[in-house]
Amino acid sequence: MYPIVLLSFFGIVTLFLGFSKSKNILLPATLLFLIIALAGNFLEWNKGPLLYFYDMLRVDNVTLAFNGIILLSAFMIFAISGGFQDNPDSEPAEYFGLMLFSLVGALMMVGFQHLIMLFIGVEILSVAMYVLTGSNKRNLRSNEAALKYFLMGAFATGFMLFGITLLYGATGSFKLEQIQGFASNMQVGSESYILYAGLLLLLIGMLFKVSAAPFHFWTPDVYEGAPTIFTTFMSTVVKTAGFAALFRLLSGSFTGVYGFWWIVIAAIAVLTLLVGNIGATSQNSFKRMLAYSGISHAGYLLIALTALSKPSQNAIIFYSLAYSLSTICAFGVLMLVSKEKTIGGQPNEYYDAFNGLAKQNPLLAFVLTVSMLSLAGIPLTAGFWGKFFIFTSAAERGIIWITVIAVLMSTVGIYYYFRVIISSYLKEGDLVKIRVAPFYKVILVLATFLTILFGLAPGIFEGLI
Amino acid sequence: MSASLLILIPLLPLIGFLINGIGFKTIPKGAVGIIGTLAVVASFVISVMTFNDFVASGSQPLVVPLFEWITVGDLRIPFSFQIDQLSLLMLMIITGVGSLIHIYSIGYMHHDEGFGKFFAYLNLFLFFMLLLVLGSNYVIMFIGWEGVGLCSYLLIGFWNKNTNYNNTARKAFIMNRVGDLGFLLGIFTIIATFGSVEYTEVFAQASSFSLEDPVIVTICLFLFIGAMGKSAQIPLYTWLPDAMAGPTPVSALIHAATMVTAGIYMVIRSNVLYSLAPSALEIVGIIGGLTAIFAASIGLLQNDIKKVLAYSTVSQLGYMFMGLGAMAYSASMFHVITHAFFKALLFLGAGSVIHAMSDEQDIRNMGGLRKKLPITFITFLIATIAIAGIPPFAGFFSKDEILAHVFEHNKLLWVIGVIGSLMTSFYMFRLLFLTFFGNFRGTHEQEHHLHESPASMTIPLVILAVLSAVGGFIGVPEALHGSHHLAEFMSPLYDAARQANPAGFEPTTLSHSEEYLLMGVSVAVALISAVVAYVMYVQKASVPAPDSAEKSGLQRLVYNKYYVDELYDNVFVKSTKTLSNILYSFGEFFIDLFVNAAVRLTSFSAKMLRKTQTGSTGDYVFAMVLGIVAILFWKLLL
Amino acid sequence: MIPNPNIPEVSIPSVIQNIPLQHYLILSTLLFVIGIIGVLTRRNAIIIFMSVELMLNAANLLLIAFSSYRSDPSGQVFVFFIMAVAAAEVAVGLAIIVMIYRNTRNTDIGFLNKLKW
Repeated sequence: MYPIVLLSFFGIVTLFLGFSKSKNILLPATLLFLIIALAGNFLEWNKGPLLYFYDMLRVDNVTLAFNGIILLSAFMIFAISGGFQDNPDSEPAEYFGLMLFSLVGALMMVGFQHLIMLFIGVEILSVAMYVLTGSNKRNLRSNEAALKYFLMGAFATGFMLFGITLLYGATGSFKLEQIQGFASNMQVGSESYILYAGLLLLLIGMLFKVSAAPFHFWTPDVYEGAPTIFTTFMSTVVKTAGFAALFRLLSGSFTGVYGFWWIVIAAIAVLTLLVGNIGATSQNSFKRMLAYSGISHAGYLLIALTALSKPSQNAIIFYSLAYSLSTICAFGVLMLVSKEKTIGGQPNEYYDAFNGLAKQNPLLAFVLTVSMLSLAGIPLTAGFWGKFFIFTSAAERGIIWITVIAVLMSTVGIYYYFRVIISSYLKEGDLVKIRVAPFYKVILVLATFLTILFGLAPGIFEGLI
Repeated sequence: MSASLLILIPLLPLIGFLINGIGFKTIPKGAVGIIGTLAVVASFVISVMTFNDFVASGSQPLVVPLFEWITVGDLRIPFSFQIDQLSLLMLMIITGVGSLIHIYSIGYMHHDEGFGKFFAYLNLFLFFMLLLVLGSNYVIMFIGWEGVGLCSYLLIGFWNKNTNYNNTARKAFIMNRVGDLGFLLGIFTIIATFGSVEYTEVFAQASSFSLEDPVIVTICLFLFIGAMGKSAQIPLYTWLPDAMAGPTPVSALIHAATMVTAGIYMVIRSNVLYSLAPSALEIVGIIGGLTAIFAASIGLLQNDIKKVLAYSTVSQLGYMFMGLGAMAYSASMFHVITHAFFKALLFLGAGSVIHAMSDEQDIRNMGGLRKKLPITFITFLIATIAIAGIPPFAGFFSKDEILAHVFEHNKLLWVIGVIGSLMTSFYMFRLLFLTFFGNFRGTHEQEHHLHESPASMTIPLVILAVLSAVGGFIGVPEALHGSHHLAEFMSPLYDAARQANPAGFEPTTLSHSEEYLLMGVSVAVALISAVVAYVMYVQKASVPAPDSAEKSGLQRLVYNKYYVDELYDNVFVKSTKTLSNILYSFGEFFIDLFVNAAVRLTSFSAKMLRKTQTGSTGDYVFAMVLGIVAILFWKLLL
Repeated sequence: MIPNPNIPEVSIPSVIQNIPLQHYLILSTLLFVIGIIGVLTRRNAIIIFMSVELMLNAANLLLIAFSSYRSDPSGQVFVFFIMAVAAAEVAVGLAIIVMIYRNTRNTDIGFLNKLKW
């Protein structure tokens, strides 16, 4: 609960800080805010389930773990944004303010216990993201991405709302445990149909946010058009929050009708895996490939939701963490590299921008390699264990066929993840030096270190929850 | 046994890797070799000590827990090592042969600029390999499994960064991933069935399953797919010959003696499961038999010295699987051991030849090397006799034991096995004769340069030669008045399997005279092949035709002298040649077709998928609504 | 104020309840579908956006109906939240559309296809 209050306050403070002449204070200040929020988050560790805001928000260790991942990702992203110093047109205070507010929305999605909370959380997060996507006002691509994201997002919100409405009509409550109570003892009748329709529509709205197929169409375009730093934010924070919310929703309210929905989620998971992995192979832009890779990872996470067995919870948490760390590294390196190598004044985000990276900057090449290995799920990286836990959860439920598809698709994944490794190690590039700010370097090394550490000893993390 | 000592076995190579890997630019060459080799030798010494302790303390298997690793739901995966007969034997092979190959590499790789990197990779490989055999559960085995795969690719690509590397690596990668996919699925099925991945727990629970339980059969087949990938069985074998692009010591260590036997290790390790699934074993045996004869027939016509050995490796692995199929686990392990000796020796000998020939690998350009490379020649000869299965050298005992079991199990497979060993003997002697006998056929420069390799290379050759010669005596069959030490030693491993499936472990019903007969047959075919090869390649000094040129008139004349030869040539050689060519192109064709088809299918569907991403918001919304309608229709109206 | 004796005292919920709940359900669903069709068929960003608003209002209407049938105020509270959020969305959405209009002199979504494949 503390981070929600703190961040709302800090967001306003950040906007005021924007009035000051010196822009240099913004970045340290927001980083400090995030550290305070992180500390506040873990104040409630092991305090058991606590309910706040008229029982609309629940704080337990699962919530706190998701919060931790979101805040840590945000911290890293803020840090590698460099305070938006290099772009004179930018409005750092507003960007930081919006990101802080959107974090509030994300945290509400993680801990909601009442559907109003969920709706408000989703909207706070989404509206902030619409603005940030279009923050590069003069760039047509950024504009287009913003409009697409906005129109489709609002459209999906409509479905989500209608779903919530139907759920309310069937159960008479917005509270998770009351819906759970109703769904578990429900007789088949008109009310059960309304409940089912409501559940499906709500799920569709949420699945849109986590870019599951066939609701994924916005993802590649928006990820590509948005400024890279906000793409990073979208693909880590928004995705983690979305899955936390889906997990809370399904495990908190609908375990009683598992037989009804699991096959829907399973089918969508398979479709998402196919679209994400196969779509990524034909991309020439690294950034767009990462968008498809984001879709495919949503597919893996959906498998854990499909299973919803004992290991699912930890699997989703671990996977989100592993995915966020690697994604931040990948986008971080992309930002540095594409800035140095431009095509017609625009950053070069294609694979060939990475040619010869190993000679130009071995550290960046190493960071990129580790993150790609982790995303591909090669052992001794965190990504491997993420996949392992997810498949274990499916195995515990006895759904092996979905694992077969997922493992096959992860083979496809190797093709496009390794392409950039081959580019950076085996291809020749111009000899430009790529300079990296020390703090930037620290963040990348830290994320890489954590990826390897969790890859060697995932038990460390298991012990934490 | 102290855990601290045990942990040193894999840790020492890892330390070697870290030292050489981080400092390979600064550490002088001499030190690099010494560090890398010492790490492995020390871990060999510890392995031997462990082995002695184990035997002295009454051969009790034990699991040494190191630390708690992972807990997922109810699934607990500790990081622990299992010490029993199987892992100890593998340890000795890996570290023992590994040490010799490290020593050899000091000489062989001396002029290479990537010397430090090479030793770092080798050490890393050994670390993963040791992890693979030491781990006490399937997850650790899988980590090692993937790790050795990774090192294998690093080392295949060690020399050929630019030439065709992408294609080869891609093929190898896809094949191994298909294998790994099977292994992973096997692990998850095991988790779903037993709720554990620890060997002891899984096998204890498995004993209560009935024979031919479909779940067990499924697990066994999944695991076997994994074994097919790593141990290069049909249809996942073509990567191994391609892997010969790596430096020769790598071929010896990874692609002959150790990594490729991981599949056999896995099956023996899971013997309880396999014993419960005779139908899965049947498939294992058939695939093994087919691979044995298929690869051997391709080997008949290869002219690259390393390619011949590569196909021979594939074929020998096929024998091991054939043995496993007949539930002759110990016999297969026996063959793993002897094969490690003689195949490592063959590769190292080939390396010595290539070294002397200034990187020439085509046997048509060799010949007469026995005078210039006496040590290499003698050791190579011993290895050839051993692999051909001529007593009393190592290969005879192990191959014969496998064939005896197969004979009892399935006569047809036995015939295949015998034909395979006929071919083996032929192509190995052909290789030997073409390389070391006759006149030198290379260029003058090469001839001038010919020299015996330095001591660091010949000493490992000699040691391996001795082992290839006498290694078979650890398992002399009863029929030859020996006592089968190895089988007795390994017997406790199958206690659980024996209880689960007593019928499969019944003692042999073969009488001694039948056994003599079988031995006689296999020795006879080996000798006949050797003689035929001698006649063809030494007496007549025929050299396989260059890829393009026709046979010269002189050769034709020589051929015409012997009517028998002509008949032989027309009926036997030509048909074999055609068959071998067909099989070769058939296999390559189909596997390439499969790999390419997979790639094409992916890229085709990717293109189709790309077209759906039209960039128009209207289309996206339309697709979304279609999806929503479909879901609602499916779940609410159907 | 003295209640007028000629008019029978009726509460708003009871007026709402005079109409069967199914009718509200059907009406809202129809409105919702009309909204969807609007989004599907129109090309002007502003009209698409208006159609989305229609979808939200369909949900609002249904919420109110459910809320008064169940005599449970929380549904109506939700409606306030939805309206507030919709207002925020309008602000942001129109800002984005204006921004695009400035750059392209156009609000037709058919012209936005730089990002694709």
